[in-house]
Amino acid sequence: MPFGIGRERKHEDELPPGGGEDMTWPEREQEGGAESPPPVEGGAGDAEGPSGNAGEGQRPTGDGEQPTSEQPTADDEAAPEAAEEEERSRVAVVSEPERGAGDEEEWKWHTGLKRPTGVPDAIEFIDVHKSFGRNRILRGLNMGLPEGKISMILGPSGTGKSVCIKHMVGLLYPDEGDVLVHGESVPNLADDELFEMRKKFGVLFQDGALFGSMNLYDNVAFPLRQHTDKSEEEVAEIVNRRLREVGLADSGDKMPNELSGGMRKRAGFARALVLDPDIVLFDEPDSGLDPVRTALLCELIKEVHEENGGCYVVITHDIMSARRVAEHIAVLWKGRIVESGPADELFNSDNPFVRQFLSGEATGPLGME
Amino acid sequence: MMGRLALPRDWLASTGDLAKFCARVLRDVYGARVFRFFGEALRQAGILILSSTLVIWGLVFIIGLQCGIEGAYFNRSVGAPAYAGVFSAWCDLRELVPYGFGYMMAAKVGTGFVAELGSMRISDEIDALEVMGIDSMTFLCATRLLAAWMVLPFLYIAAVGAGFFASYLAVVQQIGEVSSGGFFLIFWMFQNPPDLLYSVIKGMVMATAIVLVGCYYGYNAGGGPVGVGTATAKSMVLNIVLVHLIGMLGTQVFWGANPRAPIGG
Repeated sequence: MPFGIGRERKHEDELPPGGGEDMTWPEREQEGGAESPPPVEGGAGDAEGPSGNAGEGQRPTGDGEQPTSEQPTADDEAAPEAAEEEERSRVAVVSEPERGAGDEEEWKWHTGLKRPTGVPDAIEFIDVHKSFGRNRILRGLNMGLPEGKISMILGPSGTGKSVCIKHMVGLLYPDEGDVLVHGESVPNLADDELFEMRKKFGVLFQDGALFGSMNLYDNVAFPLRQHTDKSEEEVAEIVNRRLREVGLADSGDKMPNELSGGMRKRAGFARALVLDPDIVLFDEPDSGLDPVRTALLCELIKEVHEENGGCYVVITHDIMSARRVAEHIAVLWKGRIVESGPADELFNSDNPFVRQFLSGEATGPLGME
Repeated sequence: MMGRLALPRDWLASTGDLAKFCARVLRDVYGARVFRFFGEALRQAGILILSSTLVIWGLVFIIGLQCGIEGAYFNRSVGAPAYAGVFSAWCDLRELVPYGFGYMMAAKVGTGFVAELGSMRISDEIDALEVMGIDSMTFLCATRLLAAWMVLPFLYIAAVGAGFFASYLAVVQQIGEVSSGGFFLIFWMFQNPPDLLYSVIKGMVMATAIVLVGCYYGYNAGGGPVGVGTATAKSMVLNIVLVHLIGMLGTQVFWGANPRAPIGG
């Protein structure tokens, strides 16, 4: 059943023993917030190579598995202080899984490099696999999306970006692996806990997903009416403020089918923000918009983020949007992260795939296949 | 061998899915979870009243006319025109009003639910509800079932009245071979209050099945607009089969052992 009924809960006993998963969210937040982790020395340089993974702790991959040459080994025990320091400075628990020699060619560009961001991750994907029939979409995805920043998940079409969003909010569940939101395992939440957790989220769907039976005002007011005890006056004040922010103050009485695509997206944005969510997800906010409106929407996202803060995650394959908005970028391809880190560092990455994708060049590792 | 078994296995799986869905929606209503969204249930009740009442009454009225005409001509042909009321009492109350009600419910309400919920599904509206922390099945399906249960018994009883009135018009006013008093004497002799109750139960079981089937196919629609169209067609087929199945079983259960016909003492 693809739509959230008949949820499977088969991962309770299979959670990978994450290196930092014993650390609760507030603890991690406190640590990350209290002091910014020192930059990893030679982070990018160290990570160059097929499986470099600088700046983060390695998650044990299971009994019997041999650590890769880049993973901490017995040598680390000789330097407990350094290890301790690394543990303290580590803000994310995810790492790229081991790769077999046979995968060398396919994962040639997937260094899995996660450049340190200095803040804890609000959302973490841990070795997530997801298939639809024979179609393997996520193939061991390890990704962290930092708190308080605008993150972009970039990647070619059909590479699993929207599937990521659905995993974050529990609309889809991983076949293997785990998804943590503020340290809570989404696939292992009971229904009521899941509905409660979802109140942390605001989601802007591709076409806004406004309710066709309600006008714009009622659409934006809907979450407030359902989840709060606010009076109609208070609801009106909040809704009108949000509609003003997105430039739709005069369109409250219009039905969704009377709005243009851009207006629907902006209205969806207003609805996503109305409960002041900690995390806002945007599923291709630029799709179907002209360049000017895309630029305006990007500006709007930045402005609102500056005002409200929180973790914003934007799914797109539009590089211009990424340049305008992104503070953190994760490049996804073939269901795994190629590289992730602060936007300016990613735009200067030496990885040929990342370079090709972020510059939009025709020549490079990515072809039409 | 496996190929031959694939189809029945699919049917079995679909039936299981449908049963699970129905159990979940019924649990939401009986467990009172649906009352978190009572406002939405009232809105759905309002929509049901405004959009479906007249069309159901209209169909049942025409069926009542047909029943009266058929009964009057048949009884004239056997030399007992005064007994035309028997047809009106039995045909209307026990069979044709439930069927007419079921047909129109399936065509108007059931397919409406599939189309509405299906288009909400493909435009991500249901996902949007879910990510707002709202249980979409309770909000969309359980509220519709509760609304149907709040509205339809009254709508059904009024439809029975419309059918009776139409039969009276056909037999007494149009064909006119029996007086008003003679018609009603026989008419009331061949029915009693339990018959009305059984008829309402028959109609409500049909309505419940239609609402659940409509919600199931709409809620689980996929594959874009074509998928919604296919789901609508499938729901209509299943609903028509269920209407007849429930009609047949209802007649057997309620009047099979004791037809309650005051004939021969």
